[in-house]
Amino acid sequence: MRKYVLIQILLFVFISVWANEIDNFFPAAELKTGILCSDEVFIRRTYLTLTGRLPQVEQVKAFLSSKKELKRSELINQILDSEEYIRYMQMRWGDILRIKSEFPSNLWPNGVQAYNRWLYEKLASNTPYNNIVKELLLSKGSNFKSPAVNFYRAFLKKTPENIYKNIDLLFLGNRNQSDDGAKCFSQIQYKKTKEWKEEIVFVDIHKNFYSTSVTMPDKKVIQLNKGEDWRVGYLDWLTNKSNKRFSAVMANRLWYWIFGQGIVNDPDDWGAHNPPSNPKLMDYLANQFVVLNYDMKAFSRLILNSKTYQSLSTPTSNFVPQRLQAEIIVDALADITGISDAYRSRVPEPFSFFPIGTRSVDLGDATVSSSTLELFGRVSRDVSLESQRSNKLTSKQLLYLMNSSELEERLRKSVKLNFICQNQKNIAGVCDEITLLILSRYASNEEKLLFKEFSVNNKLNLRDLATTIAWTQINSTEFLYNH
Amino acid sequence: MKTYFLILIFILFCINEIMGQQAKSVILVYLDGGPSQTDTFDPKPEAGRDIVGNFKDAIQTNVQGIQIGQKLPLLAKIADKYSLIRSMTHNVNAHETGHYAMITGDMSGGYVVYPSYGSVIAFIKKDAYNGILPSYISLTSANNRFNEGGFLGNEYKSFDTGGEPEKNLFEVEGIVNRYVNAASLNKRMNLLKDFESLNVNLNNEFISENANKFRKQNSEFIAGKSRQVFDLSTESKEMRERYGLNRLGQSCLVARKLVEAGVPFINVRTTGWDTHKMHFQRMNDMLPELDKALSALLIDLDEKGLLKNTIVLCGGEFGRTPKVLYEAPWNGGRAHFGQAFSYLVAGGGFIPGKVIGATDKTGENIVDRKVYPADLIGTLYLLLGINPYGKLPHILEGELPILPSLGKAEQSNDLLYELINIPKPKVMNNK
Repeated sequence: MRKYVLIQILLFVFISVWANEIDNFFPAAELKTGILCSDEVFIRRTYLTLTGRLPQVEQVKAFLSSKKELKRSELINQILDSEEYIRYMQMRWGDILRIKSEFPSNLWPNGVQAYNRWLYEKLASNTPYNNIVKELLLSKGSNFKSPAVNFYRAFLKKTPENIYKNIDLLFLGNRNQSDDGAKCFSQIQYKKTKEWKEEIVFVDIHKNFYSTSVTMPDKKVIQLNKGEDWRVGYLDWLTNKSNKRFSAVMANRLWYWIFGQGIVNDPDDWGAHNPPSNPKLMDYLANQFVVLNYDMKAFSRLILNSKTYQSLSTPTSNFVPQRLQAEIIVDALADITGISDAYRSRVPEPFSFFPIGTRSVDLGDATVSSSTLELFGRVSRDVSLESQRSNKLTSKQLLYLMNSSELEERLRKSVKLNFICQNQKNIAGVCDEITLLILSRYASNEEKLLFKEFSVNNKLNLRDLATTIAWTQINSTEFLYNH
Repeated sequence: MKTYFLILIFILFCINEIMGQQAKSVILVYLDGGPSQTDTFDPKPEAGRDIVGNFKDAIQTNVQGIQIGQKLPLLAKIADKYSLIRSMTHNVNAHETGHYAMITGDMSGGYVVYPSYGSVIAFIKKDAYNGILPSYISLTSANNRFNEGGFLGNEYKSFDTGGEPEKNLFEVEGIVNRYVNAASLNKRMNLLKDFESLNVNLNNEFISENANKFRKQNSEFIAGKSRQVFDLSTESKEMRERYGLNRLGQSCLVARKLVEAGVPFINVRTTGWDTHKMHFQRMNDMLPELDKALSALLIDLDEKGLLKNTIVLCGGEFGRTPKVLYEAPWNGGRAHFGQAFSYLVAGGGFIPGKVIGATDKTGENIVDRKVYPADLIGTLYLLLGINPYGKLPHILEGELPILPSLGKAEQSNDLLYELINIPKPKVMNNK
């Protein structure tokens, strides 16, 4: 009994030191029963969540052996400042901005490259969210020279109504809202130039020779004066700090990108019909995002340092296991085997080939794909819905992992596994190194025993055993999920 | 509107009950890149060298009044088994948008991405077809230039077999593994089970139950009989040779086996038809392969009594310019042509031995009965017992018409009632 009380006191102290504001929004009971995840789970989870790739073996070893008290928040900072974080965020943004060379976005490879470069620069300099939105919404000029205009080019139907519909979905999470906002985008025009596939997006401010106004759902009136760019009025209304929905939608989206589940879920389906699961937390997060000046990195840091994020994933905890996204699995298999898929763009002809070793996270173009990416539900960027990305585990996916010649050949030829077998002379060592590579942890004694037995029973040499261990771990749900 | 639905229901009832011949499977032999219609199903022997190029003759088929290209002698002998549509059109000349129009029937210029008809069929037939094989299979891969599952989602995309059916071992991705035999796989599966029971970092009942269910299903599939559908060694040497010992021929043979297994939609996709250059040299090699494979498929299906329940389609995303481009850099090539091209249709309720539509002397303009993609796909749906005026679920819009272009001018003309034994409902005339 005394022991129990002691644990409770310790837990209380621990929570008060550890917990940040976010944790206050969950019932104390939930926190008490909730246990923090182990370091090995934490490092894997955080790398996968922020960079879309498994941590490297050396990183895992260093982190696990570190005795520093604040090593978790240090790791969070280190990852948030990494190149991989920028690239992965670029992919997630590319999904909702629908960056794609061909149908239905039809941005064309040059446009895609310019747009991606622009996006990369914005994310690398940690440009505040509201400023990114501003640059997108007020963009004008050539698709090659003013890359943000590709925002307006990616819509399949370029009518003011459809442009508005997409913007309303993207920044306010409204599906099928009916209001007059489309008027603000009625001056947008497109024209071709003599340069192949160049397109100018411009605002014809003299198109309408009258002044008018639109009333937004919150009863605010946007004045649209003749001779002015009407998008400005909309932008001011949208990004005004009093428009809570604007910050809430992105705060919730960032939460969704981390937890795989929004406080409003789906994260792009807002409205009275779909209230947040934790309204107070949602309010808090929306406010914090404004307080942090729409700094996405700082906001993510806040979430990642919470106990809520760092809790052990159990059926009742907040961190629900998520199946690894298509790109993450495909890149992980390439990392494990040292052999990656070859990617090519079929436009323009003749085909262009991506450098060998290109990570699928970095493709930047939904037109460029592979059978395996499609198999694991890569998003096709047809619409700006997070649910378009299918993270459902299917039997076809497991069929591939279980019994594909192609994957088996890559495992057998893997230079990484060769290297491990050459350096580790015994089964235990090989077990540890492969487990570090695939599952980002050391192998347990039971596991070592299990593989040892298997190797003896089946008379496997060390290299064949390595293939079998890798096969087993790749097929395990522990690998397939971010947990 | 109500009457019209009642009539449609009646039609479907007719097909099901009275005729008892509803189509069950579809084989699409897709000539990816766009085949030349004038060198295949719509020859213009009188049109002069600018049009005919190297193929100046056409051959008479076994159906009076129907001629096809000189490189298709085997198909010419069995023209009573198929019909030709010589007036396909969508006026799109780019690969991916032409492909989109041809494979979805959507020319509405809307703001949603429609699913391919293979995906629609897989979606609608998901309950009727209960087999262990996927319901939409591509040999050896789908085009995937756009999201072919469209708004129906990833689940209804094609299962790509991968592998090379023309080789001794057709290694279907995930099903046939040259390195690991059934016994070894079984041992590995047991090892995996033991490994997971140690539950080191993930202990989630729902996830493991779900995964185990799929693994069990897959193990049965890999070890069981159904995988034999991909094993061509069960076919006689003579049969394999009849189809042609090449990718296209053996894919068609596998397609026939998949039909026998009840798979609703099979896409035999063959590439290389985008012949801007070296057109005639390449046609010299490719057309005999197509001739052999397609004729063998039709004869084989017919002999096995499968043709009446199996629709076979053959065509690409568009045709090619009837005019040969003799100038550099093409030096005798043909360019993309979406204005007028041909499709072959057979089986599953399509009336054989007919020609629908016609082009003018040069083959450049349609002079009779335009057929738009939606007309062809809608007819296909009718034969499969799918309402071509029905709806599909869409996450944002609630419901959308299965064929949005149907009934719209310049996007559709009429379903191909002249090619099927289903009467045209009267009310639809005024549409």
